Amino acid sequence: MRALRTAASGMAAQQLNVEVISNNIANMNTVGFKRQRAEFQDLLYQNVERMGAQSSSQGTVVPTGIQIGAGVKAGAVYRVTEQGTPTQTGGRYDMAIDGRGYFQVLLPSGETAYTRAGNFAVNGEGQLVTDDGYAVQPNIAIPQDAVDISISKSGQVQVITQGEPEPQIVGQLELASFFNEAGLEAVGDNLLLETAASGPANVGTPGEVGFGEILHGYTEASNVDAVAEISALIIAQRAYEMNSKVITTADQMLSVSAQVKS
Amino acid sequence: MENAAYAGLSRQMTLRRELDVVANNIANADTTGFKVEQLLVGTEVGERARNAFVRPGVSFVLDNGVGRDYGQGALEQTGRTLDFAIEGEGAFFKVQDGAGEAYTRDGAFTLDPEGRLTTQGGHAVLGDAGEIILDRTLGEPQVGADGTISQNGQPVGRLSVVRFATLGVLEKGGDGLYRNASNAAPVEANDARIRQGMLEGSNVNPILEITNLIEIQRAYESVTRMIENTNDLSRRSVERLGRVS
Repeated sequence: MRALRTAASGMAAQQLNVEVISNNIANMNTVGFKRQRAEFQDLLYQNVERMGAQSSSQGTVVPTGIQIGAGVKAGAVYRVTEQGTPTQTGGRYDMAIDGRGYFQVLLPSGETAYTRAGNFAVNGEGQLVTDDGYAVQPNIAIPQDAVDISISKSGQVQVITQGEPEPQIVGQLELASFFNEAGLEAVGDNLLLETAASGPANVGTPGEVGFGEILHGYTEASNVDAVAEISALIIAQRAYEMNSKVITTADQMLSVSAQVKS
Repeated sequence: MENAAYAGLSRQMTLRRELDVVANNIANADTTGFKVEQLLVGTEVGERARNAFVRPGVSFVLDNGVGRDYGQGALEQTGRTLDFAIEGEGAFFKVQDGAGEAYTRDGAFTLDPEGRLTTQGGHAVLGDAGEIILDRTLGEPQVGADGTISQNGQPVGRLSVVRFATLGVLEKGGDGLYRNASNAAPVEANDARIRQGMLEGSNVNPILEITNLIEIQRAYESVTRMIENTNDLSRRSVERLGRVS
């Protein structure tokens, strides 16, 4: 019976849906996290009777035909790159991007990773690094005697040192943007990698056309909407239950047939 | 004598197919832009073996088509700039499918590395002037209700939304795509509205589908009982008539 397999594909799809939703909810408080959404598509159709087929010798044709679908599959699980709310933290090296773009981070492997999580810190050499100690690109070194640091909207990093009234420019932050942000590969630790689908990174200064601005002293909260996720969870659970009902029905029909004996 | 069993069998076969269709509807209850289907079942009058006027002819049950309800699905806000929903029944986005065109209601589009607007399956979305190419350095695209795409205040293209005079010519191709199975050309659907940042849910009504499920199961059971009874009848008559006293 085809219905059994069709319903099983429906249950598998809803299971994936719940997995995506649970990851969103688990990362509700992750800095710079972008929620994901599972997109479903119908599977192939079997033409039991083709539309337009001749239905008699008088030349009448079947108007609609009989097409029976084989269930559902996951079309894509994509990231919704909607802006998250900037949250004031007062952190000295905290930054949020208001608009498009990613911070560039140099991985120990020499690759460049991209992130929206701007909760940075400085390492022993005064270099601006992520939580994991990976250097932010281009390199920005904060002098040891810096009393205060300020980062402008366009990403210019200035420090005020002891006994020096004039602020000193110590670096310029750059952002990377992509044609297809959804094509970036998430590798955990809030990091994303460039892929063939995302296209090459386009680097520019914050505030330029197509790039967001830097908010100093803020971090970007995740864009997970708890209410939307919980209602999606309810819908997924009910859909799962309905598919299991189809399996029960198909099973009972088979059993009724099996009980007929001569 | 076996006519009753054959008539019952024809009903059982259509019921199984009906269950397949309902199972597909339920599996796709959460599929973007999915349109609900129903098996159309009719009576097929069987030809008489010989021209006897005493007994009426036997009728069978035959499925003669799948009816599709192209009604509007609920719009769901997703907040993604490349998600589009069509408000207007029977209108479709046009996408490139191999050499020809395919049609879809699933507006969860994306960009390929060259900036081309495509479906999640990688089919290029067609506008008034063929493929739509966006320059992401110009900022987020804004799409008006008539499908005009603008970036940074400048129009860069227009999403094409079309409709067929008869929706029966469309064939489902899976992956949310419909294909044109006739020579009929689609026409521009001017009354359809495009909503950006939204997706159209399926128009499957869960309560109706579960009711169908119960109905199918019960009908199947009663037909099976009827076949059983016919079988009993012939067995008993063979037993009694064949007894030699």
